[in-house]
Amino acid sequence: MRRLWLGLGLLTAGSVIAGLALGAVPLEPGAVARALFDANAVEASIVRELRLPRVLLGFLVGGSLAVCGAVLQALIRNPLADPYLLGLSGGAALGAVLVIALGLTAPWALPMAAFAGASAALFLVYRLSLVEGRRMDAHVLMLAGVVVSSFTGALVGAILSLASAAQLRNAFLWMLGGLGGASWPSLLILATYTVVPLGLLLRHARDFDLLALGDETARHLGANPERLKRLAFITTGILTAAAVAQCGMIGFVGLIIPHAIRRVAGPLHTVLLPASFLLGGAFLVIADALARSVASPLELPVGVVTALVGVPLFAILLRRTLR
Amino acid sequence: MAQRACFILAAFRPSPVPRGWAVSLRRSSTAHLLLFSITLVACRPAPSASGHRVFVDDAGDTVLLAASAHRVVSLSPATTELLFAIGAGDRVAGRTRWCDYPAEALAVADVGDAMPPNVEAVLARHPDLVLLYRSPQNAAAAARFRAVGIPAIQLSNDRLSDVPRTARLLGPLVERAEAAESLAIAFERDLTAATVSDTSSPNRPSLLLLPWDQPPIAIGGGSFQSELVTRAGGRNIFADLAVPSGTVSIEAILSRDPDFLLVNDSVVPGLARRPEWQVVPAVRARRFLLLRNGAFGRPSPRAPQVLRELRALIDSAQR
Repeated sequence: MRRLWLGLGLLTAGSVIAGLALGAVPLEPGAVARALFDANAVEASIVRELRLPRVLLGFLVGGSLAVCGAVLQALIRNPLADPYLLGLSGGAALGAVLVIALGLTAPWALPMAAFAGASAALFLVYRLSLVEGRRMDAHVLMLAGVVVSSFTGALVGAILSLASAAQLRNAFLWMLGGLGGASWPSLLILATYTVVPLGLLLRHARDFDLLALGDETARHLGANPERLKRLAFITTGILTAAAVAQCGMIGFVGLIIPHAIRRVAGPLHTVLLPASFLLGGAFLVIADALARSVASPLELPVGVVTALVGVPLFAILLRRTLR
Repeated sequence: MAQRACFILAAFRPSPVPRGWAVSLRRSSTAHLLLFSITLVACRPAPSASGHRVFVDDAGDTVLLAASAHRVVSLSPATTELLFAIGAGDRVAGRTRWCDYPAEALAVADVGDAMPPNVEAVLARHPDLVLLYRSPQNAAAAARFRAVGIPAIQLSNDRLSDVPRTARLLGPLVERAEAAESLAIAFERDLTAATVSDTSSPNRPSLLLLPWDQPPIAIGGGSFQSELVTRAGGRNIFADLAVPSGTVSIEAILSRDPDFLLVNDSVVPGLARRPEWQVVPAVRARRFLLLRNGAFGRPSPRAPQVLRELRALIDSAQR
């Protein structure tokens, strides 16, 4: 276990260094350090205003998505659960596409509309998933997420097929996701939405172990499964909505990172949740550093890199741990 | 029916002389064989004895066209504008919903989208010639038109030189060869006249052409807009990118430090106030050049006029 935390610590540090040093303008580690401590250095604006908020935002988003994935996989008891299963991304995309199609140009219009859309979808899925108005059923929850997703997807499709070619391209690029909009204010906004939900999830980590045994058993062991399920749903919903609003849809992280940690460290949530946060954060930061630098000055969509780099790594991990 | 008489020789893409050519040759007469050698060299429409002409379009497809077309469906705003400009507007039987110039074009029946087009809506206009923008997205539609006996040609329209080139290609097809030739000559003359004398001066201002900002899309050297900027005495900071446009990072923009941002109304208001953009000196200083001319969006006969406007914009900003 000590090796796990040591490894994750090194990975975290390495990802931050890579995130600060790589980019359209490659910087030596020395230049990065100079820029961090001296506001008048040549590289200061690149490192302080662009890369540092982007690295921190990426870490927070990657970590949040991975934690959401781990919690939802426990909640729905389905290994294919990921943060976008709840249908929030569809709502966020609908909000964003509406802003683009209507030509609204206020600086925060896009993330605010995406967040509003995600919140509306969250509320809708929540209402649909309450059986007989009270009990939350995990399977109904999953179905509700899928149908809300399909419905918002159809609305997005209808709007886009009537939109102009430029709007279509802009909306498509937004939906691909990316950390390009990172700034100190956007990081601050994301942090205010994520700190409390993340803290709550980590505090209840042990209860998710009980939930995995089934509702009845969990109740006998002293957990309150109804309360826990609602808490898990609302916190993961807020985390996902905040992440999608800032960065669009970034796939793969929320689905695979929790599985990778389970392979290495087992299924206990007291380890799984914090370890997923670190690995998810570090992974997204490294993927974004590559997305910024491999085709410079062009930028690849970060979701493309997460899958291109992550899938082979995960395949190797699968082979190793199956032996 | 004249359109049925059009015999499509090869719907595949012959890159120089592949299998398709041999098949077509066996099916055609000696006269056509002669023609082939001509088209292979000239790649231009050439009238045959029967009044038909063999046409190799920009996708490399070989199409046999009637001597002249009377009902043309134009599926690209650039060709619609060009047909009207050479006095063949009365032969345009259909247009896309994006064809908004000249005003007379709006009176033509709208067949909807262009990439790919609605094949049924186009056929309902009973065309004897369909013009498509050259794109892999349009290849299937072009083949479908040809399969029902309607000649369809794909034309590239990406560079300024495509305007006189497509004018000269289309003119003979609609019996406006002379008008097309004089438009092409006037276009080349006006463009040269509007171009600055020194297009490689080291002191020229650098420009970022930014059609969209979330994420930042920059126009690269592969676009005619980059050509216009060079001719107007500016330097596109992403001229080294071969693509027409691409997603770039703010960091790449900062490192190339443009003097001005060439933008449109949908970008400026939000961009100027967004925090992550403030590291770019030109944004901080609000050095925006706003070009509102719709003709900047496509290579068209109006390009010399756009060039003059752009040049005036750059000149006045520098003063």
